[in-house]
Amino acid sequence: MSHSDLYAEVDRSAYTNAIAKSSPITKTFFALSTLAICVFAPTFVPTFIVPIIVFILCTILILGVAKVKLRLYLNLLIYPTIMAAISCIFLALFFGTGDPIAQFSLPWTTWSIYKSGILTSVITFFRVEGALSCLFFLILTTSITDLSLILRRVHVPKVLLEISLLIYRYIFVFLEVAEQMTIAQLMRLGKGGWMKRIRGFALLAGNLFIRSLEQAERTFTAMNARGYDGPIYVLEDFPKSNKLMLIVIVLFNVLFALVVYMLYLTNFGVL
Amino acid sequence: MLFKIEHLVHQYSDGTLALDDVSLEFNHGDRIALLGTNGSGKTTLLNHLNGILKPTSGTICYENKPLGYSSKALLDLRRHVGFVFQDPNDQLFAPTVKQDVAFGPLNLGLPQEQVKKIVADALQTVDMADFAEKPPHFLSLGQKKRVALAGVLAMQPEVIIMDEPTSNLDPRATSEILHLLLQLNKEKNITLLLATHDVDMVPLFANKLFILKKGKLMSEGKPKELFSNTELIRDVYLRSPRIAHLFEVLKKENGIPISDEYPLTISEARKEILRLLETAKK
Repeated sequence: MSHSDLYAEVDRSAYTNAIAKSSPITKTFFALSTLAICVFAPTFVPTFIVPIIVFILCTILILGVAKVKLRLYLNLLIYPTIMAAISCIFLALFFGTGDPIAQFSLPWTTWSIYKSGILTSVITFFRVEGALSCLFFLILTTSITDLSLILRRVHVPKVLLEISLLIYRYIFVFLEVAEQMTIAQLMRLGKGGWMKRIRGFALLAGNLFIRSLEQAERTFTAMNARGYDGPIYVLEDFPKSNKLMLIVIVLFNVLFALVVYMLYLTNFGVL
Repeated sequence: MLFKIEHLVHQYSDGTLALDDVSLEFNHGDRIALLGTNGSGKTTLLNHLNGILKPTSGTICYENKPLGYSSKALLDLRRHVGFVFQDPNDQLFAPTVKQDVAFGPLNLGLPQEQVKKIVADALQTVDMADFAEKPPHFLSLGQKKRVALAGVLAMQPEVIIMDEPTSNLDPRATSEILHLLLQLNKEKNITLLLATHDVDMVPLFANKLFILKKGKLMSEGKPKELFSNTELIRDVYLRSPRIAHLFEVLKKENGIPISDEYPLTISEARKEILRLLETAKK
């Protein structure tokens, strides 16, 4: 899947998934509180399964409840997972304290590998995956429109919101324009050499910039024609939050956090 | 008179004389086509009617009062004179269809509850109610046009100005938009002013025609009169509707006794052919 396709697919999913119409507050609250538990759970042996539980839970919600396509979810997961894996390999090989489990003599130093390093790296990896799944749950099930209404409620500066919503809208217009320009270039230049391609890309970027200035001008005119004079007012049409659902999520996450904390207190199996 | 334009001149800052001494007027409930080639000044003229552009000289009166250009006067004018842009991507800027349609009425300062109802009504009118929650980039061009129209309808205008309402639309979307506009004209007495160079479409909706050429108003009148004046039509680099052209050829080349005003639409052509057959029988 190309990148622009991926953006479009994520956006489509946010509007068309099975729980698109349920309350964005509930979904956001769930995603963020679960994310907090996943990230802040202490790294001791029994609790390192917390991120794994979070990951499994969110994945079930994404694939089973929201009915997002598996292919899309995997496509989203793959890049950050590769990044996390590379970082964690380095973490495992070059960090840690205590008695080394393996040592190699190199002419200039001794390279030691530690058990705690490997454990930290594994836990970090799962923590990244758990956190990712929380965030993917949010962006795959909640549309930008709904999120912007939430941000408006928590008093994010209006200017920022207005600009980001305009950017959001015109990303898709310009993706289309860029795609057409690329095709037009390919049709006339063929694939060409490396330098030709760079030149083609530069032309495209320059043209797109000019197009965006023109678009801004025309959109401003069009907004004026409908009585725009300063702030962009929005319709506060919020999907009603399901109180019961919200309570269930709060209880569940509080319980979850408590169990994690108890395990931490009992402290069995400390590293 | 609803609109009365006198000696309107507009010169762009680069020196182009886009409108040169244009005077015209039209009334409530008129269905007007503004006809001209690319670059004839159609869009410039339209942009004057809801205050987007200011005349270099000349006057524009709306309901017998000259246009004011203070922000309050403009807001007042723009709630009465709705403008649908040629490219709906210029107009649809909000993340969802519903938010976009709500933009105009919210700018008028109407309360939220009332706006919700207005938005629902406007989307119902253009038959896009099912798409209220969708972002504009999910829609086809024809659907975007209808949403853009809903955005203007939501301000409950008396006049709707459309720049190239049917450009790039497929035949079905074209006829849907036209029907919708005619229905609005008939039921809500909304005055229509459409700029176009689609001459085949003009006789289907217009009862009045203005023809521009290089910023000058060349002619005005009923479609039948103007399209029967073949010299005029050729002089302004346009052509007659296909049907009128056919009858013109039949008359001039084959000497068939066709009436002086050529039929412009299929139904008019049918009548004319039947009349000719009747007279031939006798």
